[in-house]
Amino acid sequence: MIDKHYKISQQITYRGMIWLLAAQLVVMLPFAFFLPIWLIPVMLVATYWRIRVIKGNAAQPKLLLNLFILALGVAGIWVSGMRLLSLDAMVSLLLLGFAFKSLEVIRQRDALVVVFIGYFLVAVGFLFSQSILAGAYGVVALIILTAALIANQQSSAQQLSQNATRSNLGLSTMMLFQCLPLMILVFVFMPRFSPLWVIPSFESQAKTGVTDTITPGDIANLAKSDELAFRVSFKGQRPAQHELYWRGLVLNNFDGKSWQQLDNAYDSFELGMYYDQHMPWSETNITQQGEPLEYDVIYEKTGQPWLFTLTPSLTLDKQVKQLGDYRIMAKNDVVTPFLLNAKTYPNAKRDLNLGEQTRRLALALPSRGDNKTREAAKQWRAESASDEDYVNKVMTRFTEKEYYYTLKPPLLGNSNTIDKFLFESQRGFCVHYAGSFVYLMRAAGIPARMVVGYLGGEWNEAGQYLAVRQYDAHAWAEVWIKGQGWKRYDPTGMVSPSRVESGLEEALSHEGSFLEGQFFSAQKFEWLDGIRKKMDSIQYGWRRWVLGYDSESQANLLQTILNKMSSIPLAALVGALFIGIFLFWFVMLGLLKRQRYESYEHQLYRKFCKRLAKHGIIREQQQTPSEFAVIASSQWPEKSDTIRSFSLIYQQICYVDNADQAHDQSFKKMRQLLSELR
Amino acid sequence: MWSGEWVFNFDQWVNKRLPKAAEVTLTQRKIFILPSRVSLALIVMIILLFLLGINFQNSLVYVVCFWLIGLLVINIFYCYRNLAGLTVKAVAAEPCFAGEKMVLELEVSRPLKQRKSAIFFGWRNEDLVEVNLLDQQSTRIKLSHSTKERGRFSPPRIDVFTRYPTGLATAWSYITMDVEGIVYPEPIEQTNQADNRNVEDEAENGVEILNGSNDFAGVREYQAGDSPKHIHWGQYAKTGDLYTKSFVDYEGQELWLDWDSLNINGVELRLSHLSSMVLSFHEQQRQFGLRIPGAVLQPGSGETHKVLCLTALALYGLPSQEVSND
Repeated sequence: MIDKHYKISQQITYRGMIWLLAAQLVVMLPFAFFLPIWLIPVMLVATYWRIRVIKGNAAQPKLLLNLFILALGVAGIWVSGMRLLSLDAMVSLLLLGFAFKSLEVIRQRDALVVVFIGYFLVAVGFLFSQSILAGAYGVVALIILTAALIANQQSSAQQLSQNATRSNLGLSTMMLFQCLPLMILVFVFMPRFSPLWVIPSFESQAKTGVTDTITPGDIANLAKSDELAFRVSFKGQRPAQHELYWRGLVLNNFDGKSWQQLDNAYDSFELGMYYDQHMPWSETNITQQGEPLEYDVIYEKTGQPWLFTLTPSLTLDKQVKQLGDYRIMAKNDVVTPFLLNAKTYPNAKRDLNLGEQTRRLALALPSRGDNKTREAAKQWRAESASDEDYVNKVMTRFTEKEYYYTLKPPLLGNSNTIDKFLFESQRGFCVHYAGSFVYLMRAAGIPARMVVGYLGGEWNEAGQYLAVRQYDAHAWAEVWIKGQGWKRYDPTGMVSPSRVESGLEEALSHEGSFLEGQFFSAQKFEWLDGIRKKMDSIQYGWRRWVLGYDSESQANLLQTILNKMSSIPLAALVGALFIGIFLFWFVMLGLLKRQRYESYEHQLYRKFCKRLAKHGIIREQQQTPSEFAVIASSQWPEKSDTIRSFSLIYQQICYVDNADQAHDQSFKKMRQLLSELR
Repeated sequence: MWSGEWVFNFDQWVNKRLPKAAEVTLTQRKIFILPSRVSLALIVMIILLFLLGINFQNSLVYVVCFWLIGLLVINIFYCYRNLAGLTVKAVAAEPCFAGEKMVLELEVSRPLKQRKSAIFFGWRNEDLVEVNLLDQQSTRIKLSHSTKERGRFSPPRIDVFTRYPTGLATAWSYITMDVEGIVYPEPIEQTNQADNRNVEDEAENGVEILNGSNDFAGVREYQAGDSPKHIHWGQYAKTGDLYTKSFVDYEGQELWLDWDSLNINGVELRLSHLSSMVLSFHEQQRQFGLRIPGAVLQPGSGETHKVLCLTALALYGLPSQEVSND
């Protein structure tokens, strides 16, 4: 009603503008990490210009100039090599607009709009980083933005009062924290939906972790990183460490040097199509056996769709796609932490009947090269009674002959790499062993394939979860044996059992190449390791309960709540919580309290009169304080001094006209005098 | 048509709910609150954020989105608190001439422990005053409202509103002060009366009143309000102090402003003319009396006399205070 008649069209105040600029800077700074660095000077220039405009040293830019600057910005984004429809470019544009909006802010309403865009950008920032640190920074940014909002409602007089800055920040912090319960309530109970349309992707998201093409050096590089890949919490018993083969990609195609998924480089979408067409996923290919394992996995962002699970997994979310080779991939690249609930039957048999295409892929070899290996395979197969016998023969060969597990193997060149590894250098790590093993199988006519993923992980007792890091990356083999289906073989385990039992650090203890190049890694220092684990478990909680809180977690939580209080309907519970929050606000804001209007000096004087009345000295209605003081002190001569000075201070406060002065000292003295009148 | 009718009903309802009073404390019953218009922009943005959260399945975007919802809601409480408990007392409505602005002085005070910021008092299209009660307990403000007609002026409903702290909500109330100001008739001298007056001067009551009847009587110290025409500039040049030449009207040389003797058509025009004459006689420090139907003021001079005369002119033909109160 009122808004219609009194528009917010006042000019923005100087202080209000300064607040706005500060808030803008705080919002824009973190984007320097993700977007072209030249955006920062541009923002600073805009801010500097605005300050000059406020101070009257520069003119407000004309519309044409504004357009020109905006055009320059767009050109800059284009030159920076961003696709104009990518999210990065859109965010950069938004930032530019945000920076230059301040140049034309003159009215209060514009200031409000700038703050609103600021709120939006804080949220957009979370698309780039969702770490705890980013979260904390976001909270700070929200507080400062809200303080800017408050500062722009104040009169200039109020802004100039002492510690206005602190009180603005205090008020905005107070407001935000008081609405925290409401936010949490909505966060927990607001229904979650699945994405409504396909989202533009980030360019700046680098791909990390295991990729779809493996040359031996790749895994060795990953071994140098202690970055987290994913975390797992088990619902029941945790399997033994050497059972934790986190299966990711299946690599079928070997070109003599590196391993790929297929002979063509498909992108992940095409790959899914190819599999659906030639090797479709079907639950019937799995012969269930044994007890299932249930667990939740939270994947860190990788920029890739591959997900790592124990195999074969049956019960999964609808968010993921299953391929015919028992691998699981996300429908989009994993750009934010991703939670998956999985159910695995580790003892189940896979593909008792092998599909034609699968068999063809699992037997393919390069047309030439590695002749020595091919010869040996034929010979050894001839010496073996069965396929299984042959597999075991090859496995034991890795223990019998002098093979070494090392992250620093000699270089093998570009051709005949398997020959060189098997018969000459005999030094390598998982990819070498798995690769040559698969080659030996295929050369003997046994279907086999390379699998990459992670092995093991570190158990965090405090957080009750398993942390799998990049250095846990591993490659192993799967061999198809008639009557048993696909079986997992890990030749690396034959060479270095400790890699399988205890992890990479143990396996490399002799050569000290674990996390080489990372001089300061907490893992290398025992005393830091405890702190690291604690931090890690906090991170885990953040991932699990904040970032990973999705429709699934919501359903689980609601289930738990409903089970505990079966008699109360959920709506009633939520309603009660809302009412509770509102009551909390009423109390916090003092809205339930009766407000007093009498100022303190009058209250004290009333007390003073009451005290004297107890001693029979009663003030008549018409007596002035000074008259009463004279009468009272004559009636109570022992306390005459006290009465007189109390009355004097009271009159000073009442009748000496300096309203702004604080009377704390006088009040203190009055209370003290009052206590003497017992 | 319909909306006009509705506004009427709304006014009636407000008047019933918020009756006229000399002192008003804004309590929960009297305060209205709604999200402000600008907050609609924020609401649109919250919806956008929600879509962003859905499409990117990003929990922290949801957090920001829901936090802003929380801010919108809690701000309503804060905005309400900023207005609640405010006490407004009418101090005075200063008299003015019709066509001028009537100034209403109000005393605004706050509860002891609540600071009040950026509260606006306003009359639509008339005046807007901002009140901050931070360190001081109470303050006085002056609001002005234009007047059209002479007579008693009851200041209309005052809009009291605040958007503090964030501007996302507006809390408001209406205050009708039980106070009346006197609006004097607009002073308009009818030129054709000037000659007329001289002629009548002679005829009136048989008393000779000359144009120069205000004879020089002496010099006294300058007092605020003395007309600059009467300042003794010669004395000022000598001493540097201001002196005023004072004039004395002799007994029997009384000057009367008489309703009946005016040759003007129209009540309001007559009143306007008399009003201007009162002012000019007062300025000349002459003794004069006023005779209008229903009121006779014996000759006198000075500020009080002027006010009495103007008030009588202002209230000409209006029901008396007692009647209007019943």
